[in-house]
Amino acid sequence: MASRQLGTLYKELQRAFDARPTNLKKCGTLLAQLKIGLIETGLLIPSGEASLQDLVVARDILELGAFCSIRAKDVPSFDRYFSQLQTFYTDYRSILPPSKHEFPVRGLNLIRLLTQNRIADFHTTLESLPLPADEISTNPYIAHPVNLERWLMEGSYSKVWNAREEAPAEEYKFFVDSLMGTIRNIRNEIASCEEAAYDNLPLKDAATLLFFTSPSDLLKFAQQRGWQIDLSAGLIKFSRKNDEQTEIPKQKLIAANLVYARELEQIV
Amino acid sequence: MPEVNTTEKDKKQEEKAKKDGKDDTSKTKEEKPIPPTPTAEIKSNIALIERAVVDLEPRFAHRVLRSLTALRKRLDYKILRDAVEENYPSESTVKASLLSWLPPASPADQSMDVDTAVQPNDPITPAPPPRSTSDPVPEVEIYLRLLFIHHLHTSKENYRKSLDLCKETVDTMQSLNRRSMDPIAAKIWFAVERSYELGGDLAVARPVFLAAQRTASLRHDDDTQASLINRLLRNYLHYSLYDQADKLVSKTTFPVSAGNPQFARYHYFLGRIKAVQLNYTAAHTNLQQAIRRAPPAKTAPGFYQAVHKLFVVVELLMGDIPDRSTFRHPVLQKALRAYFDIVKAVRTGSLSEFQATLAEHAPQFETDKTYTLIVRLRQNVIKTGIRRLSLSYSRISLRDICLKLHLDSEEDAEYIVGKAIRDGVIEGRIVHEKGWMECEGRKNGYGPEVSDVFGRRIGYCLELHNQSVKAMRYPLNAHRKELAAAEGARERERELAKEIQEGELDDDEGLGDF
Repeated sequence: MASRQLGTLYKELQRAFDARPTNLKKCGTLLAQLKIGLIETGLLIPSGEASLQDLVVARDILELGAFCSIRAKDVPSFDRYFSQLQTFYTDYRSILPPSKHEFPVRGLNLIRLLTQNRIADFHTTLESLPLPADEISTNPYIAHPVNLERWLMEGSYSKVWNAREEAPAEEYKFFVDSLMGTIRNIRNEIASCEEAAYDNLPLKDAATLLFFTSPSDLLKFAQQRGWQIDLSAGLIKFSRKNDEQTEIPKQKLIAANLVYARELEQIV
Repeated sequence: MPEVNTTEKDKKQEEKAKKDGKDDTSKTKEEKPIPPTPTAEIKSNIALIERAVVDLEPRFAHRVLRSLTALRKRLDYKILRDAVEENYPSESTVKASLLSWLPPASPADQSMDVDTAVQPNDPITPAPPPRSTSDPVPEVEIYLRLLFIHHLHTSKENYRKSLDLCKETVDTMQSLNRRSMDPIAAKIWFAVERSYELGGDLAVARPVFLAAQRTASLRHDDDTQASLINRLLRNYLHYSLYDQADKLVSKTTFPVSAGNPQFARYHYFLGRIKAVQLNYTAAHTNLQQAIRRAPPAKTAPGFYQAVHKLFVVVELLMGDIPDRSTFRHPVLQKALRAYFDIVKAVRTGSLSEFQATLAEHAPQFETDKTYTLIVRLRQNVIKTGIRRLSLSYSRISLRDICLKLHLDSEEDAEYIVGKAIRDGVIEGRIVHEKGWMECEGRKNGYGPEVSDVFGRRIGYCLELHNQSVKAMRYPLNAHRKELAAAEGARERERELAKEIQEGELDDDEGLGDF
């Protein structure tokens, strides 16, 4: 068993985490102490023989840490906790009893990848989940990010918007909100679709399509994207960009032809 | 062939080997009427290995290894024991260690010894020479061990034993460190992987392979490296560790000199990784390479089917519809049934049909590890559907789109169509107030991208030409003959010129006379 101090700290952390509202500051300091403790007992990145119980405690601490960092909106820290947890989830899978937090944490990681627009990583991670394929759609923690990704790819943005309400755990909401709020968010995605698909759009409809509740937000957003707004008619006009003449890439064609000439000469 | 004096025989064989670009296959065909007994074949193979070592010609070793698949099915303990007995002097330590892996001979086996050991008029084996007095080269030992391992794989109770043998063999191999052993060593690693896999703990093998890979790359041991990289990739992919596999690929360079089978595997693994990472174009190229480099469909149907399964899915994901002839291929027809149904569903752009097919064949896709890839096809189905609608209607209401594509709501349909327009799938406009989509004419097919594609194709052809020029092999000293011929031609030319000159003179004279 790890040192007794570690045990008491862990209990304290659990209490701090379970308290409503969570005392994030206290969790942070406790976690810092706990991590040092874990390193001292060689459990942070376990190697060799460690007792089963210690491993479980170490895993729980890290999982709580991951949740705390989401609540504190600290994504890089979540990333670190997740990579540390990987060892427990993959290498010690056969030994440790399954953790009830495992799939929430994995699902959060998937959403994180989605918000950062790392779609390729998203799919690689999804592929390496220790789940049979049909369980992906039944496990609520995993199904949520998977559905989000599918809707994003299809363009069913209204479903993504509504999915905020259906998040399986409290922590998911943070990511879904940031999915709507960050730079590469859905709003911009929708806006770019609208630019291509419409000649003009009534202000009222634009607001619903973009999920804006107040017209002033919409106006600000429209200004950012450089849309022309006809207030009297209540229309947004989208200027077309793609009709301009494309130039012939002379340099490239000449270079290509020279290469062909040289190669042909070699053959003859 | 009677045992002639060795140098002459060598020459003959060398010539044969030179002609032998492909004729290994033809050779086996020729031999079909009277296949040599396994004992005889092992014997001739050992002779070839020795030549490979002495002449520093890995080609001979490769030839031996090519017959491995056919040979290993016909092995039994007696044959192996005979092989050891015949090739090693009785007091050799190697022999003792080799024999310790075989069960003791039963008397029945020994009585049969006479029949097989002496094979009259065998095409390749020389008449049994007197028992050798010294150990053959160490490569022979490794080769025999390889045969042992393969034989141990045939029965379940021997898996553990084969693993032990593998470990010992690898140690021997590493300590000997001979470059002439590389081709055989590469095969040994394959057998090692198989041992671990059959034993059920493939993951345990990973550190072993990684260490060996490091050593091999330090020693510039290309054959082993190629084999080991493939082992590792397979290992990672078996446990769906795509991240690690991708890192391995980016950190290693696959040796160019590797054989086609290894390349085919490597490309297949690459294709898998790329497909998972959504890089479909790259995956497509890799899989195409894998198909081209793979052995003919009839000899390696398993690999051929596996590659094609993935290939079909990747093609669909790229938005292409695979060739119908693929599904009529005799080897593929049955294996690709489920994929054919999926292709049909995608082609018609019907979401409900797609879901039904997916549900029906889900277990198969799961065992093929293509399920998640196929699930991704959903958006392609929608896109195809929208494209078909945009081609056939000049104006269609969002409500109809919604009904035809089985979408959940008009609102969704509007977003989806908007995205399709943005992504360039269709050319069109949405008129929001009226709630319909207007489609414009088709895209102009000419532009800079055409020349790009054209340039890429020409580049590929030129590359192919250059590669084939590089791959040509010339028999030794053949240019002398050519030189002589050229000399002769020049001589004739000179004569001809002379004649013409004279002839001209004649003509002149004639003309003058005239």
